[in-house]
Amino acid sequence: MAAPHVERFDAVIMPHLDAAYTLACYLLRDEHDAQDVVQDAALRAFRYFDSYRDGDARAWFLAIVRNCCLTWQRRRRNDRLTVPLAPEHASAAQESRETDARAIEASDRAAINRAVADLPVEFREIIILREVQDMSYAQISTVVGVPIGTVMSRLSRARKRLASRLGTSQEAG
Amino acid sequence: MMRCAACRELLNANLDNELMSEETADVRDHLAQCPDCARAYDELAATSHVLRESLVRHTAPDVLKARIRSALAESRTDATPDAHEPRRAIVSHQWLRLAAAGLVIAVASSVTTVGAVRERNASRSVRDEVLTSHVRSLMPGHLTDVASTNQHNVKPWFNGRVDLSPPVPGLDSAGFVLSGGRLDYVAGRVVAAVVYVRRQHVVNVFSWPDAGDDTRPSAVTAQGYHLVSWRSDGVAFWAVSDLNASEVAQFVTLFQHGGAEAKR
Repeated sequence: MAAPHVERFDAVIMPHLDAAYTLACYLLRDEHDAQDVVQDAALRAFRYFDSYRDGDARAWFLAIVRNCCLTWQRRRRNDRLTVPLAPEHASAAQESRETDARAIEASDRAAINRAVADLPVEFREIIILREVQDMSYAQISTVVGVPIGTVMSRLSRARKRLASRLGTSQEAG
Repeated sequence: MMRCAACRELLNANLDNELMSEETADVRDHLAQCPDCARAYDELAATSHVLRESLVRHTAPDVLKARIRSALAESRTDATPDAHEPRRAIVSHQWLRLAAAGLVIAVASSVTTVGAVRERNASRSVRDEVLTSHVRSLMPGHLTDVASTNQHNVKPWFNGRVDLSPPVPGLDSAGFVLSGGRLDYVAGRVVAAVVYVRRQHVVNVFSWPDAGDDTRPSAVTAQGYHLVSWRSDGVAFWAVSDLNASEVAQFVTLFQHGGAEAKR
């Protein structure tokens, strides 16, 4: 493990830190926890970096981040048998005073983020990987570790739930 | 002709560009003739669009990057006592623990050695100290002692605090916004640190008196940070940032240029 190893890690993995942090924020719904877990995941990734062959570095790293997030939550749940914390992404709603239009837009955004935060984690992660990270089904399947068919059906169900909650479906409109 | 049920099953994959071209054509044809499926598809597209527009893309905080890089540097130091260097005795291995931010920074291990290697180690340890100071400055509340975007507030602040008057050029127009100044401690002395920010990335410029010939900027990369050092008119300069290398080089050119103007 010489210096070039660190440099390569820096060049290959560190550019995906924002993606990792975003995923962790949505999975854990707490920015401080997300920082701790992403740090842990990065060190793990560094330790297993030998096992990374040239390929999709983002998917490889996000798979580690996801595992660390789930492990963290499982431990949490065992520690104290409560569901952690209200979603944090609603903060935009509090800043919505300036103009009506901006207020509406901000509260819409907050509502959308809240709706995603309220999804069960197996739907939430797929929505984030697809709509925020713009990953292909194959990449999502690598990160989540399920077949592509499962990715497709979960994505479909997740979008359906969000559509009915956000009023983009005809039943609500 | 495709049936509605078969079409509905493929709508998500069609939206996400996951279908083979034949399937795409089948879906397209069906949608052209079936208003119900077309409406369902529009709703799906609208939902996806709204999500893409509204979901928050977080930026990993500088402190998180700094924490990871320190930890990586630490694990590297643990793993290899530097195979490239000739044998040397590691006298002390100092770890500066900064509990407040949970940040552990590896300080350059002090080394004793002989002759030729000493010079190299000296400059290397200055580099490491500069880097350590930079990382420490990223912690909350450590960036500036005098916070101001006005060079005419920052420059005089250093009077009587350090034994030079550091150049503080205004580089706003180039996108490097002055953030303030700070006293720091590098190479056994109090030094001036002038702070600029671009896109939430911090650039620290350290300077202290150093009699010696002028040198041209030379760049190194360590732990993901770019460091550029040069000497000019009896002052040693180090610029450090995690901006990309070309931006740091651009900054140094502007700083030198602006610095020269400011003196006159």
